[in-house]
Amino acid sequence: MQETVKLIVELPRIPNIELVAIEGLDRLAAHMGIAEEKIAEARILVTEAVINALEHAGEQNPPVKVEYTMSREEIVILVRDYGSGFDPSTVPEPNVGGAKNLPQQRGWGLKLMKSMSDDFRLESTQDGTKITILKKLV
Amino acid sequence: MEHEFSLTSETKGACLIIATSGYINNTGGEAILKEFSSHFERGTRKVVINLAHSRVVNSIGMSFLIEIIDQLNEAGGKLVFTNVDPAVDKMLGIMGLFGFAGKEKTVEDALKSFTGSSS
Repeated sequence: MQETVKLIVELPRIPNIELVAIEGLDRLAAHMGIAEEKIAEARILVTEAVINALEHAGEQNPPVKVEYTMSREEIVILVRDYGSGFDPSTVPEPNVGGAKNLPQQRGWGLKLMKSMSDDFRLESTQDGTKITILKKLV
Repeated sequence: MEHEFSLTSETKGACLIIATSGYINNTGGEAILKEFSSHFERGTRKVVINLAHSRVVNSIGMSFLIEIIDQLNEAGGKLVFTNVDPAVDKMLGIMGLFGFAGKEKTVEDALKSFTGSSS
C-alpha cells in the first residue's frame, strides 16, 4: 500500500457540494485502512473549511480547491478559495455562553477548525484565502 | 454513506422525540426547528433529538438547535441529545451546547432523565 495518497478536487458553488469533499475523504480513508471513527473529526474539519471557503469564494472567481494528503498517521487538508480574502483578526471569538447567556448562533467555523485540528493555519490576502489543517489519525 | 437529510418525530407521553438522518446543514437545522416549533406551540416542553443517523453535520445546521434550547429554557423545558457520534459530541461541546442541554446514550435513557422534572 502507498505511504501517502493525495486527492485534489475543485468544488463549484452548488448546494451541499461539501459532501463531495467528504466522500473523497471517506474514500481515501477506506483505501488506507483507516477506521471510521478516526476520520470522523476530519469530516467536521473539512465541512467547516469548505463552507467557509464557499462563503468567501465570490460568484465569478475560480472554484474552491481542496487538497488532501493522507498517510495512515495523519491528514493534511488544504482548502483554497479565490475570493477577496478577509482579515481573520476581525472575526470575533464566538461566545460559548455563560450561566445565563446561550452560545451565539453563527460564526463557529474558525473556532471549531482551530479547536479540533492538531495544527491550523490561515493565510488570507486580497487574492483569496488558504486554510491548512493537520489532523492526526492515530 | 447516506447524506440526504430526513427526520421523523414521535411523541411519548409529554416528550417529543425527533430522530434525524443524514447531513444536518442549514436546511436540516431549519427542518428540525420547524418540527420542534409545531410541537412547542402546542405545549411540548420535553424534547429529545436522536442523532444516531447523522454523522455529518455542520455548525450552521447545529446552530439552529441553539434556538430550540433557547425557547425551551425560557419556557422551563429541556432538550436532551442522544446517540451522539463522538466527533459531533466534541463539536457540540466546543459550541457550549451541553451547558444548556442534556446528553444521554439512548432515547430510553433520555426519557428516563425527564422523570421527576416538572414540565
